[in-house]
Amino acid sequence: MRVDLTDSLSSLLPKEAFGFSVPSSLPAALRTDVETIIAPGSVEEVAMLLQWASERGVGVVPIGTGGHTYPRCPSDPFIVLTTSRLNEIQHYEPADLTMTAGAGVLIRDLATEMAIHGQWLPFDPPDVRNRTLGGLVATGLSGPLWAGYGQLRNHVLGATIVCGDGQTLRLGGKVVKNVAGFDILKPMVGSRGELAIITSATVRIFPLPVVDRLLVLEAADISELVPTARAIATAPIMPASVSLRATSNRSRLLVRLHGAQVSVDSDQKSLEKHTSVSFEVRDSPEDQSLMLEERGGGMNTELAVRVWALPSRIDALLDVLKQVPGASLNADVYGGSVRAYLPEQISDIESSLTGLQKDIEELGGTMRALQIPAEVNASAYFTKPLADEGELASGLKRAFDPQSILWGIG
Amino acid sequence: MTRPLPSTVVSDLAEIVGHEHVITDPERLLVYESDGLTAYRRPPRAVVLPSSTEEISAVVELLHSNGIEVIPRGAGTGLSGGALTTPEGVIVGTARMNRILKIDVENRLAIAQPGVINARLTEATNPYGLYYAPDPSSQSTCTLGGNVAENSGGPHCLKYGVTARYVTGLTVVLAGGRIVQLGGVGRDPYSTLDLVGLFVGSEGCFGIATEIEIRLLPITEGVRTLLGIFESVESAGRAVTKIMASGLMPAAVEIVDGPTIEAVEASVFAAGYPLEAGAALVIEFDGTEAGLDLDADRAEKCCLEEGAIEVQRATDPEHRVKLWRARKKAFGAMGRIAPDLLVQDATVPRTKLPEVLAGIDDIGNRYGLKIANVFHAGDGNLHPNILFDRQNQNELELVELASKEIMQLCVDAGGTITGEHGVGVDKREYMTLVHGPAELEAMAAAKRVFDPASLFNPGKVLPDVEGEGTTKSEKILAMGE
Repeated sequence: MRVDLTDSLSSLLPKEAFGFSVPSSLPAALRTDVETIIAPGSVEEVAMLLQWASERGVGVVPIGTGGHTYPRCPSDPFIVLTTSRLNEIQHYEPADLTMTAGAGVLIRDLATEMAIHGQWLPFDPPDVRNRTLGGLVATGLSGPLWAGYGQLRNHVLGATIVCGDGQTLRLGGKVVKNVAGFDILKPMVGSRGELAIITSATVRIFPLPVVDRLLVLEAADISELVPTARAIATAPIMPASVSLRATSNRSRLLVRLHGAQVSVDSDQKSLEKHTSVSFEVRDSPEDQSLMLEERGGGMNTELAVRVWALPSRIDALLDVLKQVPGASLNADVYGGSVRAYLPEQISDIESSLTGLQKDIEELGGTMRALQIPAEVNASAYFTKPLADEGELASGLKRAFDPQSILWGIG
Repeated sequence: MTRPLPSTVVSDLAEIVGHEHVITDPERLLVYESDGLTAYRRPPRAVVLPSSTEEISAVVELLHSNGIEVIPRGAGTGLSGGALTTPEGVIVGTARMNRILKIDVENRLAIAQPGVINARLTEATNPYGLYYAPDPSSQSTCTLGGNVAENSGGPHCLKYGVTARYVTGLTVVLAGGRIVQLGGVGRDPYSTLDLVGLFVGSEGCFGIATEIEIRLLPITEGVRTLLGIFESVESAGRAVTKIMASGLMPAAVEIVDGPTIEAVEASVFAAGYPLEAGAALVIEFDGTEAGLDLDADRAEKCCLEEGAIEVQRATDPEHRVKLWRARKKAFGAMGRIAPDLLVQDATVPRTKLPEVLAGIDDIGNRYGLKIANVFHAGDGNLHPNILFDRQNQNELELVELASKEIMQLCVDAGGTITGEHGVGVDKREYMTLVHGPAELEAMAAAKRVFDPASLFNPGKVLPDVEGEGTTKSEKILAMGE
C-alpha cells in the first residue's frame, strides 16, 4: 500500500488496529502479497475505515481469521480488514435461545459459552469451530446439519453491518419471527462481504440434543453406499444429517440422529429396517468428533471444488468426481452437494477443471472452485448464475457498496 | 370515486386473459375493496385474473407500460391491508393459478402456482408421506403466493420455521412483465445473493411469484397435544419460558387468554374450557413416537410448577381437535362480543412475555378497551386483539392510541412490530419505531432494484414522509366511508 495511504490510516484508527500478522494462507488466496491487516475494534471504526476507503477508491477485503478465504483477486490499492477485534459476546439470554456476538468471535468460543447452558449452534461446515461468527454468516455455510435444523440463513435474526460507503445499518432484531419490512438481511447472509461488512450478528440457537448418535456404514467404494444414503434421504424418519465421505482407501456413510435416548433408539431401528442394513454406532463424543472433523480433512489442499445437483442425482455427481484419481469427497446427501478435494499433482489442472465442469453441467448440476492454485484463474471455474439473477445482484451491490470497494465474491 | 380504466386497456387485458377474467363492474369490484383487514377499504379500478406466468407477464407489461400500478392479491386473507389497492391501481389476482405443477417425491419438492391454497398442498402430498410445514391459521383459504409475499408463519413454525425456510426457488414476474428465475434446488446457492430470501416477505412490492418451488417434509410419526389451564396469562407465560428453557423442542406452544376463552365458550366453537380460567396453553410435540410421552411429561411438569390448575392430554385425534378448537376459532368467536376486531401482531423475546402481557392489560384498562390475547407464545409472537366499534369515532381514536402504545411496549421490550402479518398499509407508520432512516432507505433501495418505477404495490411497507401527521383513524374513515 502507498505510504501516504498508510499514514492517513494511522491517523484514523488507534494503534491497536495495526500489527496483526498476516494469515499464512492469505497471500495465495488473494493472489498477491499482503503487507498490512487492519483490525478495527468497533462498528464505528469499521464505518470510519470504509468511509475512508470509499472516498479514496481503496479496495477492502474483509476476513475473519483468514483461514478459510476463498480465491479473490483484489486490485491495488486495497487493504485487508479483519474482524478479529470485534470479539465480544454482546447479549446472551439462554431462555430466549438467542445470542448476539461480534463478527470476530470464534465459533468454538461461542460453543463453550453455549454448552454451559446446554445449547449450541447446530451448523457444521468443515472446520466450523475455527471459523468466526461473522465468517460463518458471511459465507452462509450450514453444513449437512441443515437438514435437521434448517439453513443458517433462516436462523440469523439480526446483524449490524457497515455498507461500502461507511453507512451503518442495524438489520432484523433479536426475535425469532420478524417481518417488519423487506428482508435485506437475507442477501447479507452468504454475500461473503460483497455488500457490506458484518460487524455483529444475532443468531437463534438450539438446545443440545440429549443424545447425538453417529451411525456409520463403511464400504470399499462410495458407490456401494449411495443406495443406502438415498434410501435414508427418502425415509419417513429424517436424521439430523446424512453425509458420505470417500478417500482413496475408505468410504463411509455418516448418519446423525439427535433426540432423547428412546427416540434415537427408535429412529435407528426404523432406519435399519427401512434400509436393511446394520450400522456401527458411535456415541462417544471423541470418537464422533474425530470422524466428523475428517470431513474437513482435505481442506489444506490447494485444489477443491463444490458441486450441486438435485439430491436424487448424487450418484451421478459422485460418479463424475470419482474419475479424478486421488479425489477426496464429502457429500451432503439431503443437499445434493459434494465437496471434492483434488490432488494438486493432477496433470493439467485447467483442462481437468474444464472437463469436470462440463460433465457436472451436463447432469444439470453446477460447479464452483473453492480452492485453486494461484496460477489458475479461479473465476473461470464456476457455473455462472442466471443472467437475470446476476443483474439483480449487481443492482443490490450498487445500492449497498456504491463505490464497489468491497472485494467479496471474487 | 374510482377512476375507470381506459376502455382500450380493458380490451387489451381481455385479449390476454379473456373477457370473463377482467372485472370492471363496480358491484363485483366491491369484493376486492379490502383484504382481511377490513378497516381499510377502497375498490380497485379493475381486477384481472390471469392463469399462467405468461399471462401475468403480459398483463403486467400492459399495465406498467400505461403507468398503471399493479396490486397483487392471493385469497385476500392478509391482515395488514397489503392487498388494498391504491386509487389508481389494478388488482392482479392469482385465484386462477391454482395448480400444483409437480410433486417430486424423491427430492421432497413441489412446484406450485401461487393461487394454490396452503392446505391443499399438504393434502396433495400426504399420500406420498409428505406435507408442507408452514400452517397459518387461515391455511384452509390462504394461498401459497400470499404466504410467499407475507413470509407467513403459523403455530407449528415454532419448530419448523416460517415460509422462507421452505421456498427454495421462484419464478417471478417483475416490472414491465419480465419473467425471472430465482434460486432452485440443485443449483449453487452461493453463485449469487439470496434473492429468493429477499423476495419472500416483500409483500407484493417487488413483483409477483408465479411458480413456487417448495421443500416438503416427511409426515411425523406421532403427535402429543396438551392443554394447560392457568389462573393468569402471566403464569402461562412463565410456563412457556420454562418449557423452552428446559431443552424441549415443542412443535407449537400457543396461549389463549381469559377474554378469548370467554368469547369462544359463548360461541358455537365452545371447546369446554373452564370459564374461570385466566389462560389456556396449548402445547404440541411431534416426531418419533417413542420419545413423545417423555416430552409431554416434562412439559406437564413445567406447567404444574408454574401453577397450572390442570393439564389435559389429548387421547385421540378428535380430542386433539377439541383441544385446539379455542385457539383455531378464536378470531371467529370474537365477532360475537364486538362488531370490529383489530388483530394486532408483534413479537417480543420470549422471556419478556409476562411483563409485556401485563403491560398490554394495563393499556387496555387505561383506554377502557377490551383486549383479548391469542398468540404463538413459543416464539413470542403476540396477537393482542382489540375489540371495538368502528362507528364510534371516539373509540376508533382510542384503538389507534392503544395500538401504538402496544407496539411501543413490544419494541421497548426488544421486540418488533410484526411477526407474521406484515406491514402492509396498516403498520407503515410504526416502521420508524424499529428502523432508522438509513435502514428504511436501504429497504427502499432494495425495492428499486426490483421495481424501479414503484409500480408494484406502492404505498405499502415503507412509511411516507409526507403522510406524517395523518392519523390512522382519519385514514380508515376516509377510505371506509
